Amino acid sequence: MRKKFIKILFYSLPVPVIIFSLFIGASKTVSINDIYSLFISLFSDNSIADEKFELVRSIVINVRLPRVLLTFLVGGALAVSGCSIQSIFRNPLTDPYILGLSSGAAFGASLALAYTFLPVQVSAFVFGMIAVGLSYFLARKRKNVSTVSLILAGIIVTGIFTALLTLVQFFSDPFKLQSIVHWTMGNLHNATWAKLKTSIIPVSLGVFVLFIYSWRMNVLAMGDDEAKTAGLNPDRDKLIILTATALATSSAVAVAGIIGLYGLIVPHMIRMMIGMDNRLSIPLNFLFGGVFLLVIDNFSRSFSGFEIPIGVFTMLIGAPFFIYLMKKTNIGWE
Amino acid sequence: MIKTAICVKELSFSYINSAILDNVNIEVDIGKLTIILGRNGSGKSTFLRILAGLLPLSKGTVTILGSDISRLSFSDRAKLVGFMNQQHKAIFPFPVEEVVLTGRAGYVNYSPKAYDRKVAHEAMEKVGIEHLSGRKYNELSGGEQQLVMIARVLAQNPKVLLLDEPTSHLDLYYQSRILRLLKDLRNEGMSIVCVFHDPNLAFIHGDDFLFVKEGQVIRSDAGCPPWDTNFLKTIYKVPLVAIPYNGRSLIVTELE
Repeated sequence: MRKKFIKILFYSLPVPVIIFSLFIGASKTVSINDIYSLFISLFSDNSIADEKFELVRSIVINVRLPRVLLTFLVGGALAVSGCSIQSIFRNPLTDPYILGLSSGAAFGASLALAYTFLPVQVSAFVFGMIAVGLSYFLARKRKNVSTVSLILAGIIVTGIFTALLTLVQFFSDPFKLQSIVHWTMGNLHNATWAKLKTSIIPVSLGVFVLFIYSWRMNVLAMGDDEAKTAGLNPDRDKLIILTATALATSSAVAVAGIIGLYGLIVPHMIRMMIGMDNRLSIPLNFLFGGVFLLVIDNFSRSFSGFEIPIGVFTMLIGAPFFIYLMKKTNIGWE
Repeated sequence: MIKTAICVKELSFSYINSAILDNVNIEVDIGKLTIILGRNGSGKSTFLRILAGLLPLSKGTVTILGSDISRLSFSDRAKLVGFMNQQHKAIFPFPVEEVVLTGRAGYVNYSPKAYDRKVAHEAMEKVGIEHLSGRKYNELSGGEQQLVMIARVLAQNPKVLLLDEPTSHLDLYYQSRILRLLKDLRNEGMSIVCVFHDPNLAFIHGDDFLFVKEGQVIRSDAGCPPWDTNFLKTIYKVPLVAIPYNGRSLIVTELE
């Protein structure tokens, strides 16, 4: 009963929260009435040719809306990827960054910020994928990829790219260094329609594949032997799921930077609220992951006049909620 | 008409640096409860895992009901052979029902249907664990988890069942219930191969007996019953005394 209520709640939350988020922002010129009349004008023919109205329109449509949608997409992508990675590695302590994706992407972004040879997002995406591919390749031994060697390889690859990132930072001038550091803390404030367009296809594709494979994740969570003898090829399925998470996460990281621990804690929140079955939890991770990041971002936008990186607030707001659930529910970890 | 459930030919297997099985040739009859015995570390579980297709062979073939298992797809193999590990480590607190349902993976493309759920419930009824269906798997006792995994492999509905010590954690009630169930399944035509630790339990309930010893899988010689103490001494390397039971013998160790 309670679960059903939570499910209905989570399915109905995104649209109102997205609309509500449009009202929040730094600009003092935009009032609630302005946005209301903007909505009206969108659905009627009589266009208002007022200068103030054009400004409102520009702020809401070109600044706030892409940011709100991008935040939702990024939050959903990280949560779904985290849930998938935890299931297939049978390890509740992993997150989508475990295979070196975040440090690879950070290195790619820093390289592009320091030497401007590629757009930052493209470079972050490419190096994020390279890091995951490298981890997988290093872990592969005699056509076999064990979970432990994969996680170990991920740690090594993370180390390598973190070292390279430090090198780039070391040789950058202070202004570039500042933007590199800011990028690695997560940045949603310079969201644009262009960013949204580049990320929406890979993220949706990745999330869609993970949704299709959600029951198979239940089987994979039983262990390799149990999956194999029950009729599922764990190596093939894991590769598909890994590729999908890498695609979704690296495109999210490419446009929003690194939002630490989000992909670790949201799947646990969902498990505590709704249970283990991935068929239920994958879609709910996407919806709740999106909504929750949006709520956090709304806080960080209204908290002060200047932008505090989202990564700071994901922890400051996420942690208390997580601890509350952890104390309150009995999920049954050994 | 195929008479052999499992046919093993010239099978060799080694872990890095140590040979476990060396040129094994053996057949298992269809529709029997065959029990594998042997000392600790002799390779009983390895042999069973090879039959399940879980380990890559260095040499040889395993044919189950006429099909070379290395050539079958995972889902085709799952419909033919079911396997249960000696121990299963639970990580996530899935409800028991969902654990049993994963046994249907070979029949399910992306999402299980109502029929799969029905089969899973029937399997739980057979094992006698319907009352556990909503419980969290990793909060159960070792014996209860074992029953869940037995139900899981039954939900898979295979023709040949490979079980590694299926009663090791069970109390006497469930031990006899599971043994009764295995005999019923055998009577319905299923071929069952179990690794057992306890030779007496094996001799009371089994139809046929295989012994793993020094890289070989053997039967007792023709004319010599498997419960013969002199033969068993060559397996267990310890003096034994026979106690007659139902036309067979049970054995106890004799301290020197």
